[in-house]
Amino acid sequence: MSVRAAIRRLFGIALTLIAVSVGMFWASATYARRPGNQHASPFAAFPVFFNPRPIGVRELSSNALHAIARGGRPAIAAQISLARLGGAALPYVLPALDSLDPHSRERVALALTPVAMRMEVGSPDELSDGAQAVLFWTRFWQDRAIDFRTASVRHLTSRLAERSIALRREDLIHVDTFALPALIDALGRVDTLEDVARIQRLNSVLSHITELAVGCPPGASVADARAVADTWRDFWELHGSEYSALDGPRRLAASFVETQYGKWLAAVLRGGLGRTQSGERALDLVLRGLATTSFLLFVGLGGGFPLGVVWTRFERRSHKFATRVASAIAGTALAAIPCATFVRWFAGPGAGLASAIGLVTITTAAWVSRHLARSTMSQSVSPIAAAFSVSAPLGATYPPFVLSAIVLVELIFQLPGLGRTAALALASGDVNAWMAASLSLASASLLLRHAADLIRPRSSSSQMASVR
Amino acid sequence: MNEPLSAKRRLMLAAAGAALLVVLAAALAPLSPGLQAYARGLAFAVLAGLSIMAVAFLVALPLGALAASGPRLIDWALRFACDLVGSLPTVFVAAVIWAGTSSTTSFVCALGVLRGLEQAWLLRCEIVRLEAEDAESVPRGLGRTPLVAFLRRRLSAALGPLFVSASFSVAWLTALDAAVSQAGLRPPNALETWGLLLGAPHPSPLPALLAAGSVAWLTVALHALFRPPGPGVAAP
Repeated sequence: MSVRAAIRRLFGIALTLIAVSVGMFWASATYARRPGNQHASPFAAFPVFFNPRPIGVRELSSNALHAIARGGRPAIAAQISLARLGGAALPYVLPALDSLDPHSRERVALALTPVAMRMEVGSPDELSDGAQAVLFWTRFWQDRAIDFRTASVRHLTSRLAERSIALRREDLIHVDTFALPALIDALGRVDTLEDVARIQRLNSVLSHITELAVGCPPGASVADARAVADTWRDFWELHGSEYSALDGPRRLAASFVETQYGKWLAAVLRGGLGRTQSGERALDLVLRGLATTSFLLFVGLGGGFPLGVVWTRFERRSHKFATRVASAIAGTALAAIPCATFVRWFAGPGAGLASAIGLVTITTAAWVSRHLARSTMSQSVSPIAAAFSVSAPLGATYPPFVLSAIVLVELIFQLPGLGRTAALALASGDVNAWMAASLSLASASLLLRHAADLIRPRSSSSQMASVR
Repeated sequence: MNEPLSAKRRLMLAAAGAALLVVLAAALAPLSPGLQAYARGLAFAVLAGLSIMAVAFLVALPLGALAASGPRLIDWALRFACDLVGSLPTVFVAAVIWAGTSSTTSFVCALGVLRGLEQAWLLRCEIVRLEAEDAESVPRGLGRTPLVAFLRRRLSAALGPLFVSASFSVAWLTALDAAVSQAGLRPPNALETWGLLLGAPHPSPLPALLAAGSVAWLTVALHALFRPPGPGVAAP
């Protein structure tokens, strides 16, 4: 194979894997939408692949502002929303106060009272009356608008990350959720005790401004601190856009990023193929399951294919009609029945892997022998030549067949393989685990297909063979 | 004894085999709820298996023939679709289709299309192989094979692997169903089928054995029905 052909093939595999990942994500989302499903992904509220109208803090705060200004029942939910958005919403809400009528302005100013308390910039006395609240927020914005700038908040955050001084913490609390992007960025890698101390300082501010009880006690280990950092990153993955302004190219990117697929891709790019519902890295899950599944696959393939060829050879050379019939019936039956169901009646738990290997091997042999026995090619040439000759079509149909068989035996014998992992993840709505396990299975399937295509004998005299 | 049976006799034998199963199921059904479930599963297996075969043939024949001898775009599209569908264990594809479709009929049709894609690729590969090995046996005009000659000689000679694959339709459906049930991915309101009998956590021995035996019986019957002509071929 020339270098050009190899590059073309590798490019094809990569393209197919991307398309497969899209297909599998769609499959997972479709499965999660089934009636009566109780295991929804935290990202289920996002569109699957394309978000035509991504919503950022500007839109959320504007909606809340108008809902509160109008009053009535929707205003209650809007007040909660505005309190949650906090400091991130102030650059959009406070300048817009002037555009409201006096009563609406007072309602909005009073709705911001919880934010002022959290930011530790006002007391209940200052904000008890509508007119006073309006006055308070007008003065606040005149004095502090300059603090609500990305560069200054990043500077404050980096200083807090470096050393702990109470004043720096207070400065960040004064800008509230406006500091969230900078605080999440400052979490960084957690490898040493210094990193643990940094996480503790940042966690203290993050817990305060989000009002989420994420603890990182003084004696926390590196692993504990890493878990805390992951918790905050997960929070940001889910809610990040609610605290960020989506303008210009960012809005365009958000159409793809603020989707379920985009969130999964971001988790993959963060490393470790994302984290599962149990908090484990999906990559670790794959590495653990890979040994069992690849062992089953290669032993089944290595034993089953030659056995299938020998089987066909025996069947063809047998002079007794009854032997041929019995062999054909046995082959068809073995390839047709999900035998694992019956083997588990007799096999003990210790015999799980051995039984599974035996089943995959025999099923493969039966399947191959039936296809070789019925191939028109096999009437005139040896089974080995036939096996090579029909390797391309067999390579296309065999991987889904054998992988399904492997999933079945892994489930029945409770083997910790990729098939079982994928099945359990699909059932429980664990998107990261499902995608990691099923993409690994898809890669194995694609490699088998291309390997089968590579060993296919090519006729130099035929134009068709060279063209296709 | 070794002479191949005529198509009519093979069809009659296969029909007789299926009828025997129906009689057996009708006789056993009143004896216990498990056997009643077996009888209900038989109806589903036969009807769904036949539907899958029919839909698969409808998809596979034109698509496979066009991919082998038509525009290269169709060949590329078929290869890509097969890569896409075949890269996952079929059990997961079936689970997703089952969860996403509203009725059993649409589920069976979707499985038929899935099977049809696989069979179209088999057909395409076989036609290309025959073209490569024996380019002169079919007359060509201006570099192209006339349609009638293509259909009569090339296509009919290439149907072998397609028939093998088709004969496993009932077994494929039952094994998929059992695996989906075993994996806990089966919709709660789905029909009672053989897959449920085989894939249940604690299956009843007699109905499960009967279901497995019937799957093997139907597959052998279909295998015999689709037996290609020619010497030295073992039956069924």
